[in-house]
Amino acid sequence: MMIYPTLQTLRFSISAVRLPTFETTFVGLANFAAVIGDSATGLLLERTIWWVVGTVVLRFVLGFLAALVFNAKVRGTTWMRVLVLLPWTIPAVVAANLWRWILQSDSGILDQSLTAWGLTGWARNWLGNPHTALPAVMIAYSWAGFPFIMLLILAGLRGVPGEQYEAASVDGANWWQLFRFITVPAVKGVLAIALILETVSAVNSFDTLTVMTGGGPANATQTWSLAIYRAGFVDFNLGGASALSVLMFLGALVLLAVYSAANRGGQVKQAWR
Amino acid sequence: MTPLETHGRPAQARGLTAAGPRITKKQTARVGRYVLVYACGLFFVCFSVVPLIWGVSTALKTTNDQYAYPPKWIPDPVTFEHFISVLHNAAIIRGFVNTVIVATSTTAIALAVGILGGYGFSRFRFPGRNTLLWSVLFTQLFPRVVVIVPFFITLRHLHLMNTLPGLVLVYLMVVFPVSIWLIKGFFDSLPVEIEEAAVVDGCTIPRLLWRIVLPMAKPALVAVAMYSFILAWNEFLFALVFTQGLDKRLLSVALAFFIDENGIRWGDLMAASLLMSIPAVIVFTFSQRLLVRGLSEGALRG
Repeated sequence: MMIYPTLQTLRFSISAVRLPTFETTFVGLANFAAVIGDSATGLLLERTIWWVVGTVVLRFVLGFLAALVFNAKVRGTTWMRVLVLLPWTIPAVVAANLWRWILQSDSGILDQSLTAWGLTGWARNWLGNPHTALPAVMIAYSWAGFPFIMLLILAGLRGVPGEQYEAASVDGANWWQLFRFITVPAVKGVLAIALILETVSAVNSFDTLTVMTGGGPANATQTWSLAIYRAGFVDFNLGGASALSVLMFLGALVLLAVYSAANRGGQVKQAWR
Repeated sequence: MTPLETHGRPAQARGLTAAGPRITKKQTARVGRYVLVYACGLFFVCFSVVPLIWGVSTALKTTNDQYAYPPKWIPDPVTFEHFISVLHNAAIIRGFVNTVIVATSTTAIALAVGILGGYGFSRFRFPGRNTLLWSVLFTQLFPRVVVIVPFFITLRHLHLMNTLPGLVLVYLMVVFPVSIWLIKGFFDSLPVEIEEAAVVDGCTIPRLLWRIVLPMAKPALVAVAMYSFILAWNEFLFALVFTQGLDKRLLSVALAFFIDENGIRWGDLMAASLLMSIPAVIVFTFSQRLLVRGLSEGALRG
């Protein structure tokens, strides 16, 4: 079901597709040459890597910290955990629109609050400025995604017996050692799965970026998946879009290979057992 | 149990040697930990909830108040005009109806095929059985964007472009492996002996499935139903590429391009967003345990 379309993508990537009949003629590697020869591709790749690394790191840091807080089992924090989950439960399009409204220049709540607090110099057109647009979308995207990481890590932490911490602290371990040698190993498997899922979803992410900025301003938030969409369905260059898709596919394969090599294999499969 | 919890420990250890100030030190440490955890927890709650409150507040206040300076967080007067205007908005209603149709059909078909396929994969050995695992990994781990071009062309050939069945078909491609996989996993854990006994007693296979196996598999069926419904409810990329014009738009696309000649009416947009979020919030809140358990269990075991 997924293999046939992937093969079809491969075929289109080495063809010129004529519209509206979808006749294909073999053009060899011309589509790839066009992609690689395009000076914008380097920037696109760089931006995509920034986006993936940035959002994955943000989501992991937030998710991990939140998991540690809510794993402390202090009475009366359950309601907090439920509220923290909310951003993850709302549809991505809704989250994107909400943040677009918050980040509006002048009339947005962020700029208004900054002005009201006397920080007028900080207020700016967050999504309209090429320097702030990508970080702004990253924050919105991580806001919507970190509770999932939190849930996964919490699930991983639940398997750690409390006695381990007690024994270690009796032996004189400090909090960093407890964290490094008990907490981290305990959630390693979960972290590995979360890392794959989050990387894929960051590479894949289309809705948040499209709704918030549409790739603008001046392509400052154009990532690889938006580029595929634009090539295929705005410029109707299906061959070019397929070439971009194949390259992305290869990138994903390389990532997975690197990952499973680093993990000595097996872990991914186990996740799905 | 985390490092945070161990803040009290040194005080406790010291307390054992000095009997006098033991209780107070212990209590101070415990209060300190309480305050720390609570403060951090509240920080995360604010981070998560404040943007949402602003959205809800926008949906409930008059258009003038939305641009008031300094910003008004609490709507006064509270108005439902945005909700009423959304309910009279043809594009939104159209999108809502389309989304309901697509999401329920996807769910129903995913369940039916998942049950039959899952049963087959679970109870019978045949060549190519392992392809299921690979297709699950494939659909979950590979970028969906990669397949939009071939899907687009396939739908054109089938004359299903810009139709709701076309969209359902595309979502089923994504949902099938997962639904079959989940249901198969559950069937695997059911004892075969019950079914054998039923067959010996003269039960036919369809009756067996309907009367005996399905009632036992309810948790897996609920999980699959939630997964497929939410996928179709929230999905944006496929809905955008495979539909054109207002007629066949899903709610997600309608909200993404919610703009008219007066620009964006944020009150209406937030009201519509709120309405669209309700099913998703309910389903996610109920299913998070199930989902996370499924994902992390394998990891814990490994």
